[in-house]
Amino acid sequence: MNDWTIIRRSLSSRVLSTWLTSLSVGVAVALMLVLLMMRDSGRRAFERGSGNMHLLISAESDPLSSVLNSIFYAGAPRRAVAWTKFEQLPRLAPFEFLIPIQTGDSFQGLPVLGSTPEFFSKFKPDPEQGWRLREGRFFEREFELVVGARAAAATGLAIGDRVPLTHGMPRRRGEENLPAPHVHDEFKFEVVGILEPTGSAHDRAIFTDINGSWIIHARDLREAAEIEAAKKRGEVHVHDHEAEDAITPADLRPDEKPVTAIYARVASRPGSDASAAIPATFSRLRADPSIQVAQPAQEISRLFAIVGNVDQILLALAVVVFLSSGVSILLSMYNSMDQRRRQVAVLRVLGATRGRIFRLVLGESLILGLIGAVFGLLMALVGTHVVALEMRARLGLVLEPALTPTLGALVLGGAIVLAGVAGLIPAVAAYRTSVARNLRPLG
Amino acid sequence: MTATTNTSDRPAALEVEGVRFQYPGAEGFGLEMGSLVLAAGEQVLLTGGSGTGKSTLLQIVAGLLDPQSGRVCVAGRDVHAMPGPARDRFRGSQIGMIFQTFNLLQGFSALENVMAALMFSTLPRAEYDARARGLLGSLGIARVTSRVENLSVGQQQRVAVARAVACRPALVLADEPTASLDPENARAAIELIQQTCRENGAALLCTSHDPSMRERFARVQALAAPGSGVLAGAGEGGAA
Repeated sequence: MNDWTIIRRSLSSRVLSTWLTSLSVGVAVALMLVLLMMRDSGRRAFERGSGNMHLLISAESDPLSSVLNSIFYAGAPRRAVAWTKFEQLPRLAPFEFLIPIQTGDSFQGLPVLGSTPEFFSKFKPDPEQGWRLREGRFFEREFELVVGARAAAATGLAIGDRVPLTHGMPRRRGEENLPAPHVHDEFKFEVVGILEPTGSAHDRAIFTDINGSWIIHARDLREAAEIEAAKKRGEVHVHDHEAEDAITPADLRPDEKPVTAIYARVASRPGSDASAAIPATFSRLRADPSIQVAQPAQEISRLFAIVGNVDQILLALAVVVFLSSGVSILLSMYNSMDQRRRQVAVLRVLGATRGRIFRLVLGESLILGLIGAVFGLLMALVGTHVVALEMRARLGLVLEPALTPTLGALVLGGAIVLAGVAGLIPAVAAYRTSVARNLRPLG
Repeated sequence: MTATTNTSDRPAALEVEGVRFQYPGAEGFGLEMGSLVLAAGEQVLLTGGSGTGKSTLLQIVAGLLDPQSGRVCVAGRDVHAMPGPARDRFRGSQIGMIFQTFNLLQGFSALENVMAALMFSTLPRAEYDARARGLLGSLGIARVTSRVENLSVGQQQRVAVARAVACRPALVLADEPTASLDPENARAAIELIQQTCRENGAALLCTSHDPSMRERFARVQALAAPGSGVLAGAGEGGAA
């Protein structure tokens, strides 16, 4: 029998209120923790992916969507950079690499990125860490596939598998007017490599030599042209793939080599920082109206500035929930005041000082806050785990929400301080409880 | 729990001197007590009709109410001269209280109710458990871990008695302890209280409006409403 027994009995005498109150504190704590943990890890996840590229060149209408589409595979780019333009780029500025990519195809709903072998040899998805193969090798020629770690897990693709790709991405809401995706059964692509995870959106992509993508599309275009021509001549076009000559990379005309984006890294003189050269190159490229140029790092910052507003609102909301959970502690404590007055009077008769009574009530409030904080911590850990799994499955973004000791201590401490403040009013009320008045026979 | 030793060397359990008390705002209600002294271990019945302030006097003695004038000493110490916290601690160690409605801590076991009294006493913590169990055992409470609300009324009263003497007080104040009992149970209850106080060396100041209680006390003190012409205290020992 000690003060703790008295607090425990008091809490358990109104079990429902105790649990509901702690739960409301818990939800507030969890909300706050999830937001804080996710914000940092979300930013880190988005900073991976663009890796060691400085600039992203595309023909998209705005830089943010070019970054989202071409680095994070958010959707298929609507416009492409002409091959002739791509060939002119090295003349505009010195580049360490200019890697053409083509997105817009898919396999089982997963994005396919066509590029050159330099995509693996020069571009690094994470500035600290280049590509690593779990199995096999990088592609060397057209119709070879290298599968990202999550894509491999999702599709079950293994080395040696031969599969057709789908031209076009699954249509999303609002994209019903785009051509329906169709499968190119006539071209089989062979899986030659499986990648290790990179922690970026690239993990859910499948990579192939850009020549293969071009050949498929060239075939589509040439076929459409033939049908059109046949219609004009009044003939029925009988399509016979077998009879057609296979298109080779060398056969491709420049207009059959669209590039949806170019990953670019500005060259730097040995020993000097490239960051000085980036703005100059950026503005030189910007002068060309036929291309869009984006600095991924800046676009991501801009995105987070937008998202940041949202998460500030959410955070403000969490603070409101947090404060209201403080009010619910206060109410829970205050509602039990009638029942408590008699107990306080009895304890005073038994020799408890006003100060002891004050501490007992405050202690009870702190315990409510502490239980709530522990609840919240558990909910936050489970919640961030679930969100992280979801983000990984849907976006391939690897979120590593980390509960830093500082963050944990801050939120726990906050909950306890809140509970302490909320407990002050009931504690003062208990302190001031008149013993003589509350000992009257109540039956 | 054993019979008390010689009590003559102990200070008076209670000395009340010229106490006047008036409830703030309540016109006319109050009390006056000229003089009342209880020797160590002495048992006194305080009688008076309702409204004469018997309960109020007990609360003044316990230091729960402050009189407008006069002096109350318990075990040789002036109760109202002590500041709040010291007075609370003093009450916890020297004064036990028994109520008509028991005022047990609901939701707590019989054992915990007695332990709660010990928590605020000056007895060493290591003795709490043995002291509480011993008292409850001697008062015939076997199920010490039962919640008090699950005990019979008679058992609840025993718990209340055990709690009042747990801290080995110099003085037990019993406020109408038998008022809600039938005559037979009332007799048993008062016997239990008297005997327990005797065994624990505590003086007893018991209030009752029941005339049949008079025969059980060697000394009876009548309390009259102030202004009635009878200055309470003047009839000390008169009805015995």
